[in-house]
Amino acid sequence: MANEGVTMNCNDLEQALPFYLYDELSGDERAAYEKHLESCQLCRQALEDFRRLHEVLARRPRVEPTPELVVHCRQALDQALDREQLGWRALLRSLPALASLRFAGSGGLAMLTLVLFGFGLGWTLRPHTAALLNATKNAPSLEKSDLGTPELGHISDISQISPDPKTGEVRITVNAERRVTLEGSLDDPRIRELLVGAVKSYDNAGIRRDTLDILKQRSDNPAVREALLHAMRNDPNAGLRLEALKAVDGMEGEDLHQALLDVVEHEKNPGVRFAAVDALANHVTKEKDNTMLPALEELARNDPESYVRMRCASTVHALLGDAP
Amino acid sequence: MDGTCLELAGKFPAEGSRLVEADERELIRRAQRGDRAAFDALVRLYDHEVLRLALKLVRSPEEAQDLYQDAFLKVYRSLALFRFDSRFSTWLYRVVMNVCLDHLRRQKGRSEVQAPANPESDTEYFQTVADDRPELDPERSLKGREIAGRIQSALAHLNPRERTVFELRHYQGMKLRAIGELCGTSEETAKNCLFRATQKLRVALADLV
Repeated sequence: MANEGVTMNCNDLEQALPFYLYDELSGDERAAYEKHLESCQLCRQALEDFRRLHEVLARRPRVEPTPELVVHCRQALDQALDREQLGWRALLRSLPALASLRFAGSGGLAMLTLVLFGFGLGWTLRPHTAALLNATKNAPSLEKSDLGTPELGHISDISQISPDPKTGEVRITVNAERRVTLEGSLDDPRIRELLVGAVKSYDNAGIRRDTLDILKQRSDNPAVREALLHAMRNDPNAGLRLEALKAVDGMEGEDLHQALLDVVEHEKNPGVRFAAVDALANHVTKEKDNTMLPALEELARNDPESYVRMRCASTVHALLGDAP
Repeated sequence: MDGTCLELAGKFPAEGSRLVEADERELIRRAQRGDRAAFDALVRLYDHEVLRLALKLVRSPEEAQDLYQDAFLKVYRSLALFRFDSRFSTWLYRVVMNVCLDHLRRQKGRSEVQAPANPESDTEYFQTVADDRPELDPERSLKGREIAGRIQSALAHLNPRERTVFELRHYQGMKLRAIGELCGTSEETAKNCLFRATQKLRVALADLV
């Protein structure tokens, strides 16, 4: 090892070590590597260390999708493809206010862009948009059969929702055949209904997450409230169910308590479930909702999770005024 | 390039389930004309491997399902653009890899969206998939789960590209040249990613080695 050339060689070989084990060296490189190994204890030791790393990595369980998961995925994809075949037409059908707009953008362009400004500021429509809306106000509503006409073009999907935390601006980009820019607020029922529809039924989890982020600022609105509760109960992504759960935490009322109870009773992800039982306990205690007592007593007696039993028991005690 | 594609395609899916190429081309053409049954057949040809790959890259079956769905919806939307210039499997897995990389990047940037990180969630993940290893005694099984958790955590700390390259090379046995092709990058870049990934894993798992 005193030889400078060998030392360099050791460094080179250390760089090549992973590729030697992965059989990614050329024949010459491999031969040179093995020749050096014969005379270098240090490199042999380094190779052994790497082999042991491979042995450790091999202890990661083999991941195989269960047949149930495959079936579930196929069914969900099948439903998504059904919706896809209808595309945004289906969403627009459920949004009569939006569908009543006449999109008067220039033809041949590929994007429809909705731009929202200034959440919480009671935004107003910008003049040119207002003019657009006014100009189309008296136009006949689009019927189902109109949704694929050249006037509106085919709208296939949302490609991006990108909020800007600094300006409060949000841009929703939708693939379509025309381009229209709308500026408005969550007070605008058309915008609100669009976002509520997206958070409840859009296929892309990233889009639902971005939409959820926006909607949670207006949980005082009944439609938004209902959408958030729906997402907390039904979103297919556990992370988003948890996000929705956090979003409803500032709300009050028996429908919230019932929704939280539903999550505690039916949620499969333990993290989401524990967060739900915490939220339920806090809300029910704070709002003194005795209608929850029977369900809480049942959970305190029979839930398989000790944490849930303990949390529900302490809530029952608190409601009955006999807390230890 | 075609050699790489062939090599790639050989990894997916199992040879026994592969239709002869002419049948596959016919299915693709029918699907491009809007034949939903043909598209479903294409999905079933490749979806098991796509789901397996997704499960390796994310923490939960729910996320894997999202990836699966996003990938096949993207394939459905852009199938008309497929011109038979390359193998369909290569084209499809490029789409899948893009979806996976986007997901990992988003996940990295928005850790709050991930399912809550508690020991239960890892357990849930591993129970969801079949483990065909021989039965272990309880103590070894517990130790095995701990090690599995450590490996999973170490992998989660790799950046999305390193993670993907490592998964494909180490666990799928794919060659770096093929990985570069699949990820739309060079073999050299894939090589650098693999090197960085192994160095990081060596440090993260040093006490287990």
